[in-house]
Amino acid sequence: MWAMAMKEFRQMRRDRRTLAMMILLPVLLLVVFGYAASFDVDRVKTVVVGPRAGQVAAALPGRLDVVRVAPAEGRRQAVEALRDADAAVAVVTSETGQPQVLVDGADLFSARSVVTELKGRPALPAPEVLFNPGLETSAIMVPGLMGVVLVFVGTIATALGVVRERQSGTLEQLAVMPFRARDVLFGKLLPYLGVAVVDLAVIVAVGVLVFDVPFRGSPLVFALGAVLFLFVTVGIGVLISTVSETQGQAIQLAIMTMLPQILLSGLIFPLQAMAAGVRWIGYLLPLTYFVQVARGVMVRGAPFEALAFPLAMLAVLGAVVFGLSVARFHRDLAPSGRHADRGSATDAGQDEAARVQAGAR
Amino acid sequence: MSPATREPLAAAIAATRRFGDLTVVDAVDLTVAAGEVVGLIGANGAGKTTLIRMLLGLLAPSGGQVRLFGEPPSRRTRARLGYLPQSLGLYEDLTVAENLAFSAAAYGSAGATLEGELAEARDALVRDLPLGLRRRAAFAIALAHHPDLLVLDEPTSGVDPLARARLWETIRYSAEQGAGVLVTTHHLAEASQCDRLVVLAAGRVAAAGTLAEIVGDATAVEVRTPTWEAAFTTLDLAGLPVSLVGRTLRVPGADPATVDRLLSDAGVTAEVARVPASFEETFVVLAA
Amino acid sequence: MTAWGCQGLRVRYGDTVALEDVSLEVPAGTVAAVVGGDGAGKTTLLRALAGTVRPAAGTVRRPDRRRLGYVSAGPGVWTDLTVDENLSFAGRAYGLTADDLEVRVGALLERTGLAAARDRLAGRLSGGMRQKLALAMAVAHEPELLVLDEPTTGVDPVSRAELWRLLASAAADGAAVVVATTYLDEAERAATVLVLDRGRALLAGTPDEVLAATPGLVVEGAARPEGVPSWRRGARWRAWSPDGSAPPGTTPVAIDLEDAAIVAQLRHDRGGPGGSRRGGPPANRGRAA
Repeated sequence: MWAMAMKEFRQMRRDRRTLAMMILLPVLLLVVFGYAASFDVDRVKTVVVGPRAGQVAAALPGRLDVVRVAPAEGRRQAVEALRDADAAVAVVTSETGQPQVLVDGADLFSARSVVTELKGRPALPAPEVLFNPGLETSAIMVPGLMGVVLVFVGTIATALGVVRERQSGTLEQLAVMPFRARDVLFGKLLPYLGVAVVDLAVIVAVGVLVFDVPFRGSPLVFALGAVLFLFVTVGIGVLISTVSETQGQAIQLAIMTMLPQILLSGLIFPLQAMAAGVRWIGYLLPLTYFVQVARGVMVRGAPFEALAFPLAMLAVLGAVVFGLSVARFHRDLAPSGRHADRGSATDAGQDEAARVQAGAR
Repeated sequence: MSPATREPLAAAIAATRRFGDLTVVDAVDLTVAAGEVVGLIGANGAGKTTLIRMLLGLLAPSGGQVRLFGEPPSRRTRARLGYLPQSLGLYEDLTVAENLAFSAAAYGSAGATLEGELAEARDALVRDLPLGLRRRAAFAIALAHHPDLLVLDEPTSGVDPLARARLWETIRYSAEQGAGVLVTTHHLAEASQCDRLVVLAAGRVAAAGTLAEIVGDATAVEVRTPTWEAAFTTLDLAGLPVSLVGRTLRVPGADPATVDRLLSDAGVTAEVARVPASFEETFVVLAA
Repeated sequence: MTAWGCQGLRVRYGDTVALEDVSLEVPAGTVAAVVGGDGAGKTTLLRALAGTVRPAAGTVRRPDRRRLGYVSAGPGVWTDLTVDENLSFAGRAYGLTADDLEVRVGALLERTGLAAARDRLAGRLSGGMRQKLALAMAVAHEPELLVLDEPTTGVDPVSRAELWRLLASAAADGAAVVVATTYLDEAERAATVLVLDRGRALLAGTPDEVLAATPGLVVEGAARPEGVPSWRRGARWRAWSPDGSAPPGTTPVAIDLEDAAIVAQLRHDRGGPGGSRRGGPPANRGRAA
């Protein structure tokens, strides 16, 4: 028995990827729970409009972080500000009477913290919750989960699909056939993209019909965001496949890229609640931007202009990642001076002949 | 060395193995005695691997008997056995020395000293070694605990002739030291290295004995002609198992008169002669 | 018709030289065999001929990709597709039209004896049948140059004989065929033989030329001869006497390619280029074969 343990230990020591996973993963989780896992939003962006904007702004509780004071604007602009996610709270003042407090229900945790705060101050009016009046979690989680599904399909399915070719040794065969590298790559990706699109349509349908998630904005903008996001995730999948030799390795890497995205993209824990030192990681993750687009379009009905920034970020990330992956893939297929493919690693379940081939390599 | 009076180290007696409706091994008799090298030859699907697994105790026979060191295979007798699978059974992410240490610990032996090139390579990861060296390492490790019976599955597949000859030296040396060796091979030229042969086809023993006994007086027809392509196509289309050797054609088991007629009907001039068959040709006829 | 092949080929993987100054000529309608052990450079040479590896020096004469057929070592077939689907994919990839495809696929299945397994997943075929499928896929478009990397390694003898019959018929149809193999008895069938060791050519020419070019004397005897390099052959021993004299207890013997290859190996090991040790430092040996 000790002989077995000794052997496993030696093998484990050399398997760097698994080691990395076993060591980095706990560190990541620690960081997340230490600095990022919080639902308490301390400072909520607020705009104040209306004739008495200045006075009211000064009197607001500290939690409301006033970013704009616009006496010339009225309720309509206030609603737009919320819709475009410029702020999470808008206070509409008038000549007489109580100011109205509008809260963005799609920014769930900010909204909740503001509602709670204001309950404790009877002097201020009860807030009116827009977009998600019931403060339902499902309204904001479902759009976010769409992103998770796209990450799944995009990254894992793609990585596996390409690695399978490499693992079975048929990649070399393809390299000799009269295909161009891009024929092979796009030909491979098309079915997965198709499945991802179908998946997405199903989830949107279920979300809207079963969970009463609103879909207020433009489907076109949503589709654009989804397509751009898919480019990024699929690109990551292909990149993973170019550095993995087996499907097992590909899955490991895919998990290591998915987990941070799920935890740090604002999907579960709001970005504003994260410590600044950790929040910047969220801004590097593609899922962050897709979640912004999805929530913006579905729950707030935000227009294209308001979402230009996250869409642009997705486009940039997509271009970079996809470009890199195509370049690497090209290198795998086209004549090169670099490493020949390693022999296929056959596992149990292959027949005698295949094992003979493996033994003969 | 006459092993006749001693109990064979491994024996299959009318061994049969069925998987559902399929009979993979059908009433096979096989013995391996101390000091002899027995070659087990057969096409894929002939049942070689299944038969070996039965002998090793990994599969129970559906009929007949299997005996290992005189009794049904059990964990107790494993220590006297050395098994070298096709895939070598080495851990690629360990060094040669580590593989040896593991095997020694598993078999409770003292390990072995590596010699020559293997000694130089002892700290190299197996995955970084070329195939020839891997096979030698696998051999050394399988022999380290001085087994009485060696079972080698395709031990020289993919190896160059000189290395192959050296591996066979090791095999014969083990036999001379008293071990019994069972070898499977696809490489019919190696058949001549064995003391006895057992040819399996479709789960049954198609032939057994020495090489000379099996080939017997089988013949082939040799065709010499400057235009081999035309002759080849003619005979191929006629359904004969014609093969090309250099620039002459050979048709095992055929009748020279028939071949001659086919060729002249097609307008191909050629010299046709009957020659002794090679083992490979005999095998192909047997296995068909 | 020009001969395909290479001249003065050198291929490098990073710092390792996989092939050095290798030349091979394969006229149409002939079969050339490339022989050598693992690590000798066979796969690299074939890849250079097929165009998936770029040489550092030397020239390669090969037809356009559409006129080339390649069978890689290992299962070069898609295991989760059926035999029929594999053939259709290959045919379409090379530009066969739908009608041509159907006819061709049918003919190929008959020729290779795979017709009964038409709808079976390629992953469930035996090694021999899988190689026949890969070969069928490579000849679907009637290539001018056919390159096969160890199609018979580990394949049962019956399938091996059938594969060679298929290769011979491809050559009979006019293709130039290059086959890498570890079986020297197969090399005897070829019109040209090239024996590689660690990236260099040990022997080259027709089988007869190679045999004639082997210096010294090969002898055989019942016991291990003294004083000369020797090896087992069957139940007897063979030895090579460089100076042409037969050691006591041995008789000269007519050599075959296996003897020639072994002698060449021994000469190379003793003091040819590359030094006298077999096998370089293990860490540098990539998987170039």
